[in-house]
Amino acid sequence: MTLTADRPVRTAPPKKPRKGGRQGREALLLMLPALVPVLVFSVGPLLYGIFLAFTDARSGRNAVTSFVGLSNFGDLLSDGDFWASFRIGMIWAVSVTVLQFLASLGLALLLNQEMRFRGFARVLAMVPWAMPPVVIGLMWRLVYHPDAGILNSMLGTEIDWLNDFSIALPAVIVVGIWTGMPQTTVVLLAGLQGVPKELYEAVEVDGAGVWRRFWNITLPQLRPVIVAITSLDFVWNINQFGLVYVLTQGGPGGQTRLPMLFAYEEAFRYGFFGYAATLGVAIVIVVLAVLGVYLWRQMREAS
Amino acid sequence: MRKRVVLAAGLLVLAAGCGSESPAAAPDEPVKIKFQSLAWQKESIAANKQLVEEWNKANPKIQVEYIQGSWDNVNDQLVTSFEAGDPPDVIHDDSPALSGFANRGYLLDLTDKVPAELKSDIPQAAWDTVTFGDGKGGQGVYGVPFLQESQVIIGNKKLLDKAGVRVPTPDSPWTWDEFAEISKKLTKGDSYGVAWPMKSPVNKVLNLGLNFGGTFFQTDAAGKTTVKVGAEEREVLQRIHDQLHKDKSADPSALGMGSADPLPGFYAGKYAMLPVGVYLRQQVVEQAPDGFEWITLPPLKGATAEQGAVSQTLSVATDSKYPEQSLKFISFFLNGPNQVKLAKGDWLLPTSVKAAGDPAMTTEENGWNVATASVKNLVVAPFLKVNGFDEWKSKVATPALQQYFANKITLDETAKKLVDEGNKVLERYNK
Repeated sequence: MTLTADRPVRTAPPKKPRKGGRQGREALLLMLPALVPVLVFSVGPLLYGIFLAFTDARSGRNAVTSFVGLSNFGDLLSDGDFWASFRIGMIWAVSVTVLQFLASLGLALLLNQEMRFRGFARVLAMVPWAMPPVVIGLMWRLVYHPDAGILNSMLGTEIDWLNDFSIALPAVIVVGIWTGMPQTTVVLLAGLQGVPKELYEAVEVDGAGVWRRFWNITLPQLRPVIVAITSLDFVWNINQFGLVYVLTQGGPGGQTRLPMLFAYEEAFRYGFFGYAATLGVAIVIVVLAVLGVYLWRQMREAS
Repeated sequence: MRKRVVLAAGLLVLAAGCGSESPAAAPDEPVKIKFQSLAWQKESIAANKQLVEEWNKANPKIQVEYIQGSWDNVNDQLVTSFEAGDPPDVIHDDSPALSGFANRGYLLDLTDKVPAELKSDIPQAAWDTVTFGDGKGGQGVYGVPFLQESQVIIGNKKLLDKAGVRVPTPDSPWTWDEFAEISKKLTKGDSYGVAWPMKSPVNKVLNLGLNFGGTFFQTDAAGKTTVKVGAEEREVLQRIHDQLHKDKSADPSALGMGSADPLPGFYAGKYAMLPVGVYLRQQVVEQAPDGFEWITLPPLKGATAEQGAVSQTLSVATDSKYPEQSLKFISFFLNGPNQVKLAKGDWLLPTSVKAAGDPAMTTEENGWNVATASVKNLVVAPFLKVNGFDEWKSKVATPALQQYFANKITLDETAKKLVDEGNKVLERYNK
């Protein structure tokens, strides 16, 4: 008895972690099928990309890749074209995200009202979501076409929207807003439906008007949803590629060359893979920094 | 997106690893080669496909698969397929693109491999447009040039006759001064003497620049290439700018247009003349309203009538498993009679001497005689040999020239941009 009673006492402390280890191993084994694709297709290339950023990898059969340390990052900081592209990227991402949010909020509020054909209107608002970016790009290129475009014939103007130095970027931003509205609208609409009715009833008793109800109930209640969707939108927008590639290919004269387009050109047009990877890493850092500050401020205000 | 780019790069590496392992075909099995063509005009696609079919019937042992590519994205597509180790065997492209590919070792050096018959049928000037450094200090021939483009002027015959201007001939072409005077004469009310479609201004300006000896690039004794914008280079820039903003004989609203965009205005008499590539004649023939009379005018003359030559080319990939068979196919595809078919299909000028003598290439109909005569003005443009030209063109030169022609910056500022920013770009390739 003493033996049997003794044993667990002595062995218990080392046994516990061992048991946990076995459990962990089993869990790992079960997770493996899911982990392998993640490791092979996501983490692996990601690490490879980060590694490339520190090399002078470039295209060519006789190209020799060597480790260059931080010199790519140095080049990047002194590259005027990168900064121009970065500036365009920020203008694009911020204005698309903000305007998209405002437009979607309006649309979501409208679709949340009791009205006729509400279901139909909701489906209609989702349509852009069903279209791939390339198709959206082609469609809008037709809309903006200087001779055959519906926009010029409606306005009676003769503007070459996508080739004018000062109009191209705003024109592309409009398409960006249109493209991203469904996602934002759906999320905001879901958020609106989650706001407890009792709150509205309570303030209605106090005699609050529409504006006060929106400002004091709807907005604070929606806050977490708004923070989530705007930060997601920002990341999506700054990484936008397909849409602008189809619309303008970065033209005219680089006026719509978003950072990702710039990286693409560096890699697949000019063949500087290492430099392009550096650009990618730099954008990740920027996105993390912007999001970090934004989320930190939001959370601090919320608490 | 970054993840996707990286992923693509990762996959490329994987693909490169697998690509080389597929076994070669057994001796009695037919060899399959891939031919990527960039033909886009209807007649030209038909001519290409017909020639491939002919070849496949006559050569059961070497079967050619026709792949349709597009000028719009050929560079990116080729870079990725070269890196993946699985490029088409026979590659259709143009000479400005070959320099970079040759330098990176993607293309096979054809120096001693081109059959004598084909070699002697194409003049040395055309071979010069495809001779580049191999990136290891040597020189090589990296393609077979077959169609060339020259810049001519298409004129509205009625308007020219009415103004009573001298009709130029290939032996006595207009000078730039004469051209400026005539453009002024033809400018009346709403209609302009000329329209310069300058959506892609760089190649046009650089090719015409040679009229006054403007080379735009210089290479020093150590082999380092830099941009040069001196008095010779400024001539054509200044002259076009004068037409737009001083003489007001060129329509400024045509600046944003691509080559074919001013055609509707040309048919309507809004512009009397269009300086364009010879291939544009095809669209005029096809689209012009009934009764519209037009003529092809020979290239302008500055100090000389020399123009930079751009040729379309067929190359063989270094990674091709069947380089011999590919060259055999190229020799068939580009023989004299076939070049006539291709040239007619694309409305460009054949490099083949035999083809240039064909009656179809010298008829007065649709200006073929004038177009074919302009071949003698074509010389190798220095920019063809510049490593990094593509990046200079899209990052520096295109925006700078567009701004200059739109009168947003002065000629001095333009020159400074082209040189300073340009040399920075070229620096990357000189490493």
